Amino acid sequence: MNQQRHAGSLSLRAHFGVWVALLALLLLTLGSAYLRLGWANGAINVAIAAIKALLVMLFFMRLRASRPVLRLAAGAGFVWLLILGGLALADFLSRG
Amino acid sequence: MNERALVAHQFDNAAQQRDAATLGMWIFLATEILFFGALFVAYAVSRIRYPEAFAAASRLTDVTLGSINTAVLLTSSLTMALGVRATGLRARRAALGWLCATALLGIAFVAIKGVEYRHEFTGHLVPGFDFGYAGPHPAQVAMFFCFYFAMTGVHALHLVIGIGVVGVMLVRMWHGTAGIGDRGDLGYESIEMTGLYWHLVDVIWIFLYPLIYLVSRA
Amino acid sequence: MSPASPPVRDSYLDAGYTLWSWLSTHDHKRIGILFAFSITALFFIGGAAATIIRLELLTPAGDLVSEQTYNKLFTMHGVIMIWFFLIPSIPSTLGNFLLPLMIGARDLAFPRLNLASWYLYVGGALFTIGALVAGGVDTGWTFYTPFSTMFSNTHVIAAAAGVFIVGFSSILTGINFIVTIHTMRAPGLTWFRLPLFVWALYATSLIFVLATPVLAMTLLLIALERWFGIGIFDPALGGDPLLFQHLFWFYSHPAVYVMILPAMGVVSEIVACYARKPIFNYKTMAMAILAIAVVGFLVWGHHMFVSGQSVYAGIVFSILSFIVAIPSAIKVFNWTATLYKAHVMFHAPMLYALGFVGLFTLGGITGLFLASLALDVHLHDTYFVVAHFHYIMVGGAVMAFLGGIHFWWPKITGRMYSDGWARFAAILVFFGFNLTFFPQFLLGYLGMPRRYHAYAPEFQVLNVLSSAGASILAAGYLLPLVYLLWSLRRGAVAPANPWEAKGLEWSTQSPPPKENFRQTPIVTEAPYAYAPPIEVAK
Repeated sequence: MNQQRHAGSLSLRAHFGVWVALLALLLLTLGSAYLRLGWANGAINVAIAAIKALLVMLFFMRLRASRPVLRLAAGAGFVWLLILGGLALADFLSRG
Repeated sequence: MNERALVAHQFDNAAQQRDAATLGMWIFLATEILFFGALFVAYAVSRIRYPEAFAAASRLTDVTLGSINTAVLLTSSLTMALGVRATGLRARRAALGWLCATALLGIAFVAIKGVEYRHEFTGHLVPGFDFGYAGPHPAQVAMFFCFYFAMTGVHALHLVIGIGVVGVMLVRMWHGTAGIGDRGDLGYESIEMTGLYWHLVDVIWIFLYPLIYLVSRA
Repeated sequence: MSPASPPVRDSYLDAGYTLWSWLSTHDHKRIGILFAFSITALFFIGGAAATIIRLELLTPAGDLVSEQTYNKLFTMHGVIMIWFFLIPSIPSTLGNFLLPLMIGARDLAFPRLNLASWYLYVGGALFTIGALVAGGVDTGWTFYTPFSTMFSNTHVIAAAAGVFIVGFSSILTGINFIVTIHTMRAPGLTWFRLPLFVWALYATSLIFVLATPVLAMTLLLIALERWFGIGIFDPALGGDPLLFQHLFWFYSHPAVYVMILPAMGVVSEIVACYARKPIFNYKTMAMAILAIAVVGFLVWGHHMFVSGQSVYAGIVFSILSFIVAIPSAIKVFNWTATLYKAHVMFHAPMLYALGFVGLFTLGGITGLFLASLALDVHLHDTYFVVAHFHYIMVGGAVMAFLGGIHFWWPKITGRMYSDGWARFAAILVFFGFNLTFFPQFLLGYLGMPRRYHAYAPEFQVLNVLSSAGASILAAGYLLPLVYLLWSLRRGAVAPANPWEAKGLEWSTQSPPPKENFRQTPIVTEAPYAYAPPIEVAK
């Protein structure tokens, strides 16, 4: 019964694999910050952060193996944040 | 799952109880995303308006300690996930070990953060208390540090709560009243929920780190 | 329904008679009643502020209270009525009581969290009342910066703390309701067999969990600004007051849908029952509820048209505000279609529901006036706005709340109230309400600004009419307290289903037993399966 319920559980190897990927991405984001890329620095940092967050959520938090409503709940948080940020920035960026 | 785990009276069975717990926890995590997110949006708007000031201010933060702390927290997510996994496999000693490591890493994070805060205090970078910045745009550099303390402070508060919860789970697992053991009335569930909360605190830091430390390092 | 039958003896009310049995209860029904007591108490405090406001506005001169005091009065009226009455009213009282019953469950998913919700409400209320007693707040319920963060000398942080705390009450309720509806429906109760009141509570809960956290952070930022003098919202230090407004209204606009959606749910339940017909186009009604909740998150900038917001953003928000009116209008059409050729029974709950449909329509349409950029330039910050939102919140939400209290009173208390008195009170409320607030549309259109304790003499007649209406409205609100409480001792004992209504809550005794149902019900029919009246051949 245990095996059945924890069917979504990751192997030991997979756990460490995700961890190594996270640390690699940390080095990547830190390193890229020392390159003079203008506005792209910020974009790269946020993109890498998003990938790290996805790794933690999909694997450590087991969203990948979870039922859809949980993924919906997680997604809704981020989407609604995008609504707040997006429409607020629409104001700030379009002011004369 | 522990067959002797109690099912609360409002639920029909253990599966329903577990489904409810996980959905409830995930919705709560979504509220945390929006809670911190509002702060991030305020930060983003301010940074777009004052890019040079925020860049200059960010350079005053300790990127070494910040990066080490990020590694510490990412590792704590690993140990937490392994702790949850061990709990599910009924490997009591391994679970205790991993949970203990998680708590210790959390404490290490807070300690390192404390060192950073002390640097900022002695460096007169605390708006509202002791702020003295000699460079240009001091008011907006102060604004950055206001965000810095608000974001890292609220995050640290959540982390401390997380450490406390992990500690409680450790004690209960040690005495056999949680996770695994003969008197397991909480079951694997509570460890899993703790893990979800812990990982979220990590996710928040994952976004926080570049916004604070990496605005302008080139 | 026999007056001679003894009251039910083994209901949830008999599971303990001590105060502690109430204060430590995990029973959703008792928690609903605890909320009912608290929100009623706060309603009277908010109403007292309104009374003084309407007395002041009887004369053009600001002669009853000082302008500072007047600012504190309308602030307290808004803070208390919105956060401590309207937002929790239907969800935390009727919702708490009825949700598990309507889905055939024994309780909510997290009973202890439910009790925590109530204690958080009480804690928040104590902070806010404390701020009131210590001298009040004068920023307006909207806490606009930089006045609230830099210049106000009143107890802003205490009031903000009270709202912060009560916000968590909402969040916990929202989590509880969503999880309950997802995981604890009785066998056979598919999503499209749910009563519309449940759909409404679900959508409301979505708003609770997605919007309230942003308010929490915004209030925290106000406190930080006040304590540490940072300039995030202060123009003098490079900050932007509009940043505050964006964050504030991101929550506060969806909050108005929190106030109206449960009311719409109640109205659907009442209309179906007293028209003896299924709600017209049930699925569309459910989808409209969700649409209102979702699109309601996209319109907040219509509160900021004249604030300095970019005109392009204003255009976008205006279009979206027109769009959000569509699902609301669909609901009004569908209620009307439900009533068409129906054999309507004009019991008190139905009078409230009918009042809702008419008054909400008026309030909603005037919202479109305000959503038009050009008109809003003229109408912003006038009494037109005040009238608009009172039509929705009082003419709409409060009427529906009263209708729901009456509709479910027999179920909750096991007693019948006097329908004659109830109908009289409903008519009094309707008449008093319109006399109070319709003149305010005219006042606003003629240019009388809101939040002023003195006004130009030509506005006096309309103001006097409004204040007169307020006194009638007050009488209409006090009357139910009398006959409803009277019914607890002297009312006829209620049967399980006095209205012969459909819905699982009516299939159990009145009042329900502690565990709600003796046996878990199994659902096999569509909602509102009212049989059409049979034409008897003469």
